[in-house]
Amino acid sequence: MLKSVTITLTALFFLSLSYSQSNRIYGSFESNAVYYQENEEEDYENKLGSNNYLNIKYLFNSNWNVEIQVESYLPRRLQSYSDSFEDTHLSTLSINYSKKNFKMSVGSIYDQFGSGLVLRTWEDRQLGINNSIWGFRTSFDTDNVSLKLLGGWQKKGIGISSGKIAGFDSSITLINSDTKYQNLILGLSYVGRFEMPHYISYDFNDLTNLFSTRLDYFSDDFYFEYEQVIKSKDGITQFGSISNEFVKKGSAHSLNLGVTKPGFGLDMTFRRLENMPLFSDRFEQGEIYNESNVNYLPALTKQHDYQLANINVYESQPNVSFPDPELMKSGEIGYQFDLYYDLKEGSSLGGQYGSKLSLNISSWYNLKGQYTYYPSDYDTDFLGFGEKYFSEQSIEIRKKWSNKFDNIFLFINKYYNRRFVEEKSGEINSQILVIDNTLKLNNKKSIRLEIQHLSTKDDKKNWYGYGLEYNFNYNLSAYYNTIVNYENLEDNKPTYYSLGASYNKNASRFSVSYGKQRGGLLCYGGICRYIPEFKGISFSINTSF
Amino acid sequence: MLKKIIFCFLVCFFTYNTHSQDIIPNINLKTINGQTISADEAVNKDGFTIVSFWATWCIPCINELDAINEVISSWNEKENIKVLAVSTDDSRSKKRVRPLVNGKNWIFDVLSDTNQEFKRAMGVVGIPHTVVTYKSEIIHRRIGYTPGEEEDLFEVISNYKK
Repeated sequence: MLKSVTITLTALFFLSLSYSQSNRIYGSFESNAVYYQENEEEDYENKLGSNNYLNIKYLFNSNWNVEIQVESYLPRRLQSYSDSFEDTHLSTLSINYSKKNFKMSVGSIYDQFGSGLVLRTWEDRQLGINNSIWGFRTSFDTDNVSLKLLGGWQKKGIGISSGKIAGFDSSITLINSDTKYQNLILGLSYVGRFEMPHYISYDFNDLTNLFSTRLDYFSDDFYFEYEQVIKSKDGITQFGSISNEFVKKGSAHSLNLGVTKPGFGLDMTFRRLENMPLFSDRFEQGEIYNESNVNYLPALTKQHDYQLANINVYESQPNVSFPDPELMKSGEIGYQFDLYYDLKEGSSLGGQYGSKLSLNISSWYNLKGQYTYYPSDYDTDFLGFGEKYFSEQSIEIRKKWSNKFDNIFLFINKYYNRRFVEEKSGEINSQILVIDNTLKLNNKKSIRLEIQHLSTKDDKKNWYGYGLEYNFNYNLSAYYNTIVNYENLEDNKPTYYSLGASYNKNASRFSVSYGKQRGGLLCYGGICRYIPEFKGISFSINTSF
Repeated sequence: MLKKIIFCFLVCFFTYNTHSQDIIPNINLKTINGQTISADEAVNKDGFTIVSFWATWCIPCINELDAINEVISSWNEKENIKVLAVSTDDSRSKKRVRPLVNGKNWIFDVLSDTNQEFKRAMGVVGIPHTVVTYKSEIIHRRIGYTPGEEEDLFEVISNYKK
């Protein structure tokens, strides 16, 4: 059915082009290719892989537009992407209509309800995620009320899911005062996942319901956002099978508070997730490619840009998992604080040019409660903190020393419980120090030197790293960076490096690099995927037109 | 079938007198105080707008916006320029946007594109990505940021024949 609908819509699209007098086409193209030399996966040795995306939008007039995206994996996909990505296929097609407050779309739907705890469909090419809903959406907005209705099947690989998704989202502004700035918004959402069993019948409902209630308040110097989700009973998925006996409800609570003033910002987040995974196909839970995922439950920790800070990254734990009697999890509970402060120019701490300070503290735990391994069951305390999964404290200072020279100083203290997070063994305490220096030279040139060190007595011991970047002008840059696990004598001091250059011109970018990349979890936006170690040459082109 | 579709598409693409993206689409964004605003309504109707796509975890993006924040007042003495910093942070890091903006004393407008629909509609692949408009029309785009590049951006604006 998908194929015939796709063909019909595409035919309509091209037919309409021929009638249009003032057609307007724009879009983007991205190509990432790697020629693999040495590789953990023998299939890829001395072979080329590439992922290519062509996204086109066509505007008929101010009301109607069409989006189409073609993806090509030739001669083969980059390693660690979904097995189903082969050759060339159409991944997105949507026809969209909007007039004043009314919008309607048919085809691939990308959307989010609230903070995504009940529904988020989006595309992340680095993670190989595209979980758009193949169906319809209609929405209506007034100054104080927004209503949205959507439904369909989810994109899964190059096909669609067997389960169906339907959702309704609303937000109502209860207070909106312009004189003394205040804004109070109530949000209500529903998401239903309907999936019939493949071989057996379930003792629980084929339809799983999620209800979300949100209350957001904003004023000039204070805000809070609260969201509560209730998930109806569903069989627990573990080790690729769905239990008919281990059937539990789920819930989520998320509270975010903040105080801000000029030069100062403080934010506090608390979140508790219990049995919250939702997949349009239940069997997809636990699969490595993150497909058919309906809701978005990211790790609430600070994302870092530096390589050594991205070792032992926390991945959120919303699932029920009982791998052995000593390791039983039903979700996560924890908090995070962020502080930003502007140390003013001329002050004793700010110096002549001022400094920017930011602090982050986060801690995440298993839900405390009564757990029994056989028969599997649990009963959790609402505010109970169980085994610690992860904690981190970081401080970052950005200091400008002159009009030509500035640097960033970053220190991180991290605890990572690999036993509970990855269900492997070990706990790792580490400290990471980064100093990132930038010197502006004359004639648009600049140079950047970054130095990193990771200290730990656990796991693979200490690392160091450095990177040097030279910008010839605003368009052309070259860099070299390396990280060395210098205390890991067992594995012969593993060394990873990359030598590359990039050229930007207007909305186009071309880059090439040669190097050896560390394997492990690659995490963006709180979602991770495993990538194997490889050595090779990488090319990348992207352009918007 | 797919090859035919692609072929058909390419023929259409090159045959017709197409325009590159020159307008800001009608996509809803949120202000950092939770109010909804359409992207095409947010741009400066009388002068220039610098639309900068950024995220709290993107160091070059923050470098660019810090640099623009330092010079925007002096730029505005010469040209009518509005800055829209469009945060592409999703719900993981969105919480950090408002305290960061206040903590850094940024004096321009910050909008939130949580599910990256505006980013998608603008064909933005990676960030930082900066778009310049004049009276709602896109006149310049660039990818990436290297130290001092904001001066080049101002040169583009100053040299634009209105």
